[in-house]
Amino acid sequence: MTESNDIPIRLTLNKSLKSVFCKPTETLLSLLRDGFGLTGSKRGCNQGLCGACTVLIDGKPMRSCLTIAATCNGRDVVTVEGLLENGKLSTMQQALVDSGGVQCGFCTPGVAIALTSLLREDPKPDRTKIREALSGHLCRCSGYIKIVDAAEAAAEKAGS
Amino acid sequence: MGPGMTFSEPETLDEVCSLLSKDPEARCLAGGASLVAMMNAGLLAPTQLISLRKIPDLGAITSMPDGSVKIGAMARHNDVAAFSGFLGAQRIISAAACRIGHPAIRNMGTIGGSICHADPSADYPTAITAADAVVSILGSEGARQVAARDFFVDWLETTLEQGEIAVSVTIPPDPSNASVHYEKFTRADGDFATVSVAACLGMSDGVVQTFRVVVGGVAEKPVRSPEDEAVFIGRPLKDSDIVEFSAALEALCNPIDDMRGSADYRLKLMPRLISRALKRAQADQLVSDSGETA
Repeated sequence: MTESNDIPIRLTLNKSLKSVFCKPTETLLSLLRDGFGLTGSKRGCNQGLCGACTVLIDGKPMRSCLTIAATCNGRDVVTVEGLLENGKLSTMQQALVDSGGVQCGFCTPGVAIALTSLLREDPKPDRTKIREALSGHLCRCSGYIKIVDAAEAAAEKAGS
Repeated sequence: MGPGMTFSEPETLDEVCSLLSKDPEARCLAGGASLVAMMNAGLLAPTQLISLRKIPDLGAITSMPDGSVKIGAMARHNDVAAFSGFLGAQRIISAAACRIGHPAIRNMGTIGGSICHADPSADYPTAITAADAVVSILGSEGARQVAARDFFVDWLETTLEQGEIAVSVTIPPDPSNASVHYEKFTRADGDFATVSVAACLGMSDGVVQTFRVVVGGVAEKPVRSPEDEAVFIGRPLKDSDIVEFSAALEALCNPIDDMRGSADYRLKLMPRLISRALKRAQADQLVSDSGETA
């Protein structure tokens, strides 16, 4: 149900153009999960600390929980669902699965977004660079080793 | 969220000031990294969000003809961290910017948002005070400029009056070509500082030319003492002077106990971090001195 102060926005979401009304204080995370049913992005801390809600906005990783949805008018948003290539897991996503970088899975969407962005900017990052890209993504299962392994494996596969 | 809550994206600063002057509970929305986090935590419920993203050039970083660098309020931390036009003591700004939060936060957060939030444990308040920066403020009553050390007033409080907005931060040139070191102590990488030290040190012929040391996380605003800094000028940098300087700063501190450390712990950290920051800056000066003569 729309109200008088709802804001109409148009954004590109996972490569398709969407028009939607949002509330003045609604976050992009709420819009994605409750409005579009894209529940890949997770609400962890809702404070920008845990990284589970991270999406690409105009190609850069940002926290959807700290982004007011109305400011996304005219922008390009990619969630973990949008990383799929022809309906299959991307090289980076598949590497997370193959390397054992996915355990409970709660941090995985944010991690997949961060590492996808890293590999676009730096196709052959060293482990320090990978760890820097992962800072701000809390994983309580893996100890991060397998996630770093996955990024290396994906970089290698993409380069081969 | 109240039923009257509104969102707007004005395209001029005059319009922003006009909206702010009419509503004390309106808030400017820059990157969202602090404001939206506080809204999500239920600490703040603005009646209006005034997005600044449609205002032209508010995020520009510009080298001015006089050697100063003007940083627009909407400049993102990552853009400031990567800006290569800072020289000498101006580099304390980029040294601090690259230590703010995490990559995704640095893609969002802005210098204007950070200084107006005025968290004394944040990185920019300490850094812009050490840089002798000037904050340009626009209001419905006109424009004014305020030195960084006068901009911060209390915990999460600045000199901004209702109807005013900080539009840019100007970093003055540093002819002494000082070295800088930003020493940040955190329990976890990317967190707010338990204690941070921004140091600018310029030396020539073995004596100090420029000496500015500002400490964050130990009081309601960045701690600085120009009188105690002046003692160093024209003399070699001596350990005993640094010890006395730290003791003098301690008298200006008003630390709190929180999850990042007790007040006592902060006061124990401070002299160690000051000493470390100055030693690193001094080592850097020696390298650049020998580079010049070689």
